[in-house]
Amino acid sequence: MDNKTVTLHVNGQSHALEIPSGQILLETLREDLDLGGARGSCGIGMCGTCTVLLDGKAISSCLMLTIQVEGKHITTIEGLSQNGELHPVQQAYIDHGAFQCAYCTPGLILSTVALLNEHENPDDATIREYLSGNLCRCGSYVNILNAVRACRPVDDQSHSV
Amino acid sequence: MAIGEPVPMLDSVARVSGTVPYAANLKLPDMLVGKVFRSSAPHALITRLDVSAAEQLPGVAAIVTAADFTGEDTPNLHFGSTIQDQPIIADDRVRFIGEPVALIAAESDGIADQAMDLIEMEYKELSAIFDAEAAMLPNAPTLHETFPQNIMRHAKLRHGDIEAGFAVADEIIEEIFTSPVAQQASLEPQVAIAQWKDNKLTIWTGSQSPYTVRSVLASIFGLEPETVRIIVPPLGGGFGGKGNIRTQPMAAALAWKVRGRPVKLVMTRAEEFLTVTKHAAKIKIKSGVKLDGTFTARKVTVYWNSGAYASSSAHLVQAGMLRTIGPYRIPAVHVDSYGIYTNLPIAAAYRGAMSSQGVFAHESHMDTIAHRLGVDPLELRKKNLLRTDNTFATGEPLSDVYFLDCLQAVVDGVGWHEPLPRRNGSVKKHGRGTAVMMKNTIANSSSECRIKLDSDGHVVVYISTVEMGQGGHTAMAQIAAEALGMPIEALSVSGPDTAKTPPDAQTAASRNTYMMGNAVLDAAASLRKQLAVAAAPILECPLEDLSVADGYVLVTSQPRERISYSEVLRTNNVTALTAMGKYTTNVGDLDPETGQGISTTHWHQGAGACEVEVDTKTGKVTVLRYHSAAFAGRVVNPMLAGLQNDGNVIYGLGAALLEEVAIDTGQITNPNFSDYMLPSFLDIPVELKNVSLEVEGSSFYGIGEMTLPPVAPAIANAIYDAVGVRIRDLPLTAERVLRAIQERTDHGQ
Repeated sequence: MDNKTVTLHVNGQSHALEIPSGQILLETLREDLDLGGARGSCGIGMCGTCTVLLDGKAISSCLMLTIQVEGKHITTIEGLSQNGELHPVQQAYIDHGAFQCAYCTPGLILSTVALLNEHENPDDATIREYLSGNLCRCGSYVNILNAVRACRPVDDQSHSV
Repeated sequence: MAIGEPVPMLDSVARVSGTVPYAANLKLPDMLVGKVFRSSAPHALITRLDVSAAEQLPGVAAIVTAADFTGEDTPNLHFGSTIQDQPIIADDRVRFIGEPVALIAAESDGIADQAMDLIEMEYKELSAIFDAEAAMLPNAPTLHETFPQNIMRHAKLRHGDIEAGFAVADEIIEEIFTSPVAQQASLEPQVAIAQWKDNKLTIWTGSQSPYTVRSVLASIFGLEPETVRIIVPPLGGGFGGKGNIRTQPMAAALAWKVRGRPVKLVMTRAEEFLTVTKHAAKIKIKSGVKLDGTFTARKVTVYWNSGAYASSSAHLVQAGMLRTIGPYRIPAVHVDSYGIYTNLPIAAAYRGAMSSQGVFAHESHMDTIAHRLGVDPLELRKKNLLRTDNTFATGEPLSDVYFLDCLQAVVDGVGWHEPLPRRNGSVKKHGRGTAVMMKNTIANSSSECRIKLDSDGHVVVYISTVEMGQGGHTAMAQIAAEALGMPIEALSVSGPDTAKTPPDAQTAASRNTYMMGNAVLDAAASLRKQLAVAAAPILECPLEDLSVADGYVLVTSQPRERISYSEVLRTNNVTALTAMGKYTTNVGDLDPETGQGISTTHWHQGAGACEVEVDTKTGKVTVLRYHSAAFAGRVVNPMLAGLQNDGNVIYGLGAALLEEVAIDTGQITNPNFSDYMLPSFLDIPVELKNVSLEVEGSSFYGIGEMTLPPVAPAIANAIYDAVGVRIRDLPLTAERVLRAIQERTDHGQ
């Protein structure tokens, strides 16, 4: 397979990489950039463990070729905390015990960040729908819902069903 | 105190930062990629296997076939923790589609894939059998010559006079229930990384059973167990699928042939379905009852489809025998529980192991009986549920029995006696259902731990408890913190690493909190004693007048006369104190002919109740409300306990409504998350609540599975309540419900 040189902007840093042209973004992140927070699981974009943000939108990095994201901005879970401080969504997941094995957690946190980018004050139905592409086999969904509710600008329980 | 606090998991920051060091993430210098070449026939003799072209491909480091296991000083090809029937890779015969035949170690994924294409294999097909009951028939093909009728295990229970019991019954009700093959589906796949160096084997693997893996690998390679080291980082889910032995022998065989470089073997999602599954089960259950709702007899026959090799089935079949009876007072009980070989992938533990299938049967059956007698299913359960000092069908007396409390909690939760919404003319009907479970734990096992206290006041708890998301390490730290009177921040947990952490049977069957928790208490008591002995000369006080509490050794009558743990160590000029702890249970030997004896030290107890909405035009079932309860004894961490209870219900919803491994003449046709659906955010009830029942003075019992097995029967019973159809086959799909509604309409009922 031909190799290509691509420039990626990941977590605020630019990387010039020579990679096989058919390589998926998930593999580039994990193998070339050593960012292990995006994880492989289903390989077909159904489970969400490989979720990263592409220009602020949540995408499955197992379904994206690395050469497709040339010049775009990628945020992985490793890029979410700032100056050693956890992102508020990360902190909310801890405060509400919103994980167990945590294999799915980076994907869920990034999807939550994308949700809050798109919806200022999502109701429960919107949260459930938006996060339905991120599976949690341990079944922490109730705690995740509580964590996401707590991230709304006004944690208004009247949105709860 | 540390016990009872909702302490966040010790490594919470790593869990939300993507830095948990799963085996899937491990990279070692010079690491090779492992791949498995598999059978495409369900049952066949291998007539030709040619790997020469693959071996010559540049970048291929090694190919392992059964030929590597012939001759002197070669490892054993076959292994098994109970029956040694499983080859690491097929010998001259394959017994299921997807069985490993050859192993490849290569410089990259791509090269390994090319090597796969260069392997040539020819077969002579044999007739195959996929249905467990049919595999027992005289003319069925035989998988293993030592088990001509394919019955790997027949566990029996004979209690009371069964004929007399049925003779005095007013009603005899007989039903058949089935559960399909399912898959544990941890999001982290099965991973094993093996390295063979200086005649020592090291494996990093996501396993629930590090010491079982060690002993089996030592036996395969003829090594002393101490020369095999198993390191288990946190797991991305286990659910039973990572118990026993899975891919570790294959990774080890590659490392053995490569000599020196590590080899990483990761299953693809499709390969996960070939590696381990849940037992499909067919359960025939027959009960005799009096018109007043008293039971007179129960006869159960269970056919467990165990797949091509025994793995853990041989003992699971006995556990499953006990778990299909139900928590009721029944004077005469007969059970025949068969573990049967078929040409399917191996079946093994699946969260709620060997319980979900049986509880679906006996709890659905309970409602059928109640409707036949014209009584409320809740009242029939209350009348017959086992109570403390009752005797179970094994003949053993029961203690710590809280089935009624669990049941009451869940039916109160869903408002059992409140009117249901009845919307005239609506195609959507509502119904409620409930179910109770009982499950023995592993009765003869042992857990050990070591606690080290440093002179700087830091404590390390060394355990082989596997952290797979349940928070087992956090719970053990809480127990140790309370027992030592120290803040949890002063503790860390290390392990499993068989070179550093003492033996533990396995992290399975909800045994860890109780077994390892008591081992931790034992070690902590020993450490406190050492501290007191070391402090006595300093405090100039006899040992019996000293207490140990809150990080100090103190004179009991004059608490101000005290010395901190660190000072005790420093004054004695020691850098650390170490204490060992152990907890062992020694029951479980049931009579092989009658199943009578003491089967367990503790009964796991749980219940569930729900309200569903059934769309009579489509058959779609929506679970609107679900309440679960587990008997916990004493809760170590309410946040983690709640996650276990809810997680169980959600896991159970998958098996109840969605999950079935589809198999066409031995070929799995849906080994992916597009066609094999797991519960998502949109599948969970809007109202999902749980309760962990606590009892003053009780021990901390495991709660890893209790709320799972009631899910499917509670929903099936609610469907019956809503639309009057009884679904006896899982999963409870819209198609099945709609067909049953149509058939009932066709029959004019």
